[in-house]
Amino acid sequence: MTSDEALMLEFQRGSAEAFEELFARYREPLFGFFRRRLNSCERAEDLAQETFLAVIRATSRYEPRALVRTYLYGIALNLLAAERRKQSRNSPIESSPEPAIDAAPDEVLWVRQALEKLDASEREIIMLREYEQLSYAEIADLLRLPLNTVRSRLFRSRMALKDCLESESKPLHSSRATELANGGEEHEA
Amino acid sequence: MTRHNHPVDREDLMSYLDGELAADQAVTTLAHLERCTECQIIVSDLRGVSRKLLAWEVEASSPRIAESITNALATRESKPGSDVNTVRRSWQDRFNLRRWSPGKWAVATISVAVVAILVVGSIPTRRMNEPLALSPSPQHSMLKAVQTKEGKEFDKLETYSKLQASPQSAKTTVATALVDPGEITGGATITGPMIVHTAALTLTTKDFNQARTRLDEILKRHHGYVGELNVTTPAGAESTFTATLRVPADQLEATLADLKALGHVESETQGGQEVTAQYVDLEARLSNARHTEERLTDLLRQRTGKLSDVLAVETEIARVRGEIEQMEAEKKNLANQVTFATITATVTENYQAQLQVVPPTTFGRLRNAAVEGYRDMVEGLVGTALFLLSYGPSLLLWGGILFFPARALWRRIRRNFAQ
Repeated sequence: MTSDEALMLEFQRGSAEAFEELFARYREPLFGFFRRRLNSCERAEDLAQETFLAVIRATSRYEPRALVRTYLYGIALNLLAAERRKQSRNSPIESSPEPAIDAAPDEVLWVRQALEKLDASEREIIMLREYEQLSYAEIADLLRLPLNTVRSRLFRSRMALKDCLESESKPLHSSRATELANGGEEHEA
Repeated sequence: MTRHNHPVDREDLMSYLDGELAADQAVTTLAHLERCTECQIIVSDLRGVSRKLLAWEVEASSPRIAESITNALATRESKPGSDVNTVRRSWQDRFNLRRWSPGKWAVATISVAVVAILVVGSIPTRRMNEPLALSPSPQHSMLKAVQTKEGKEFDKLETYSKLQASPQSAKTTVATALVDPGEITGGATITGPMIVHTAALTLTTKDFNQARTRLDEILKRHHGYVGELNVTTPAGAESTFTATLRVPADQLEATLADLKALGHVESETQGGQEVTAQYVDLEARLSNARHTEERLTDLLRQRTGKLSDVLAVETEIARVRGEIEQMEAEKKNLANQVTFATITATVTENYQAQLQVVPPTTFGRLRNAAVEGYRDMVEGLVGTALFLLSYGPSLLLWGGILFFPARALWRRIRRNFAQ
């Protein structure tokens, strides 16, 4: 399998097929990135599209110093920040990040609510790790944070998320909660 | 929770699960995890969080994303000059001094200073470099000497020092040497470190059957094969398969990337063991054994003597031949381990228990009870018959033997009581 970086260099030399391959690889991951962070499915699609268009426009400026994946998510994060700024300017009252999936099952709602409760930076780190499957170094590079900060925040957020999810899913999964409690974990009632 | 007695901290446990630890640290962490219950609970919690987060899936994107991209690509292709314009613009951007950051300024200043120093000192530098460029290095001549000594005895120390001296040499020659491990002395051109690559991957997937099918596709694509495969599909619990996969070493990274796409990665470990010294040592021992075999064969052919001496030489030849074959097998195995990396993949289904909504009907339950009652009755009868048939004859025999002594004893006891 050709690496992303090789494909990008081929595209730089004019191969449209190389870009099509890159598009096929990153289309759904980038859409998922925006979809989990924005209310509107259409906007998520628009921004995923914008990301690829930005890559096409900036092809000649691409230098293979970082992974293409990091490069793409870097563009995506910038577009997301711009979108959020725009949203807060246009409708500051309607800023509650609610319906990503209207008829979502309970588990999804719990996960989303638990993520909402996290600090913004911690939420971004854990989402980049869990959903985009980026490495610690890639996250550190993207968010311009020291690697150890990424690691400690990721651990903290996972533990906070665990407490949050356990307290929310307790009524339905009482047996599992009891099992954990017997294992020496402290639970809040 | 106090963790003073733990050799690994909690964040290391998380890094281990995320495949972010170095191989040696991963081994330490794994060893600790196997015996520490407290850490096992933390690992279980972390895995649980990742598993729960997986519940949030998003729908697939619509085809309209592709439309504007296709248009943009078509526009780009139809305007061949557009790239040039972009490049020109980018160079203009780069040389727009007003937009330069302090970092760029610093780099530019240092570059100018370095260029100035080099220009001033260029003539003497070139003179100093000339003889060095013309004379072959001692290392180079040694390499050449080793490469030209075909058919001579393999020199272990020289070759190993050559390997140590040139760790960055091309891997292709190693691969060539490994294709036919039997050819030792003739093509001894191992010029790079030999590494046995191993990797372990633990995944959770939602579609177990699809993951199993895609595993075969991945192996086919990367020219690998399954060393061992264990599939367990218990009813009412998650299905799991553990596969030991062998893929060409240069395909390891690509294969791992494909395998990771099968599901959510719960843990990943990679390791590499250098076996260059072991391989070279084996080659040297093999070469010596072959020479011994040749000398013994010559001895047997040229000299005459007593029959017992001839038999002793033949026994020695057989022993040496056995050693050679054993070493050749070891060498082939080692070469195979280097050429093919080993991946241990464990894929577990993200099992969701099904709630049984419809209870069995009353008629069904009555019917089941009747069937069970009938089965119990028949089994009871058959069991009794079997017991009588198997123990009946013995009981009759012993009854017959013991009846008269028992009756005589009983009568004597009664008589004693009567007196």
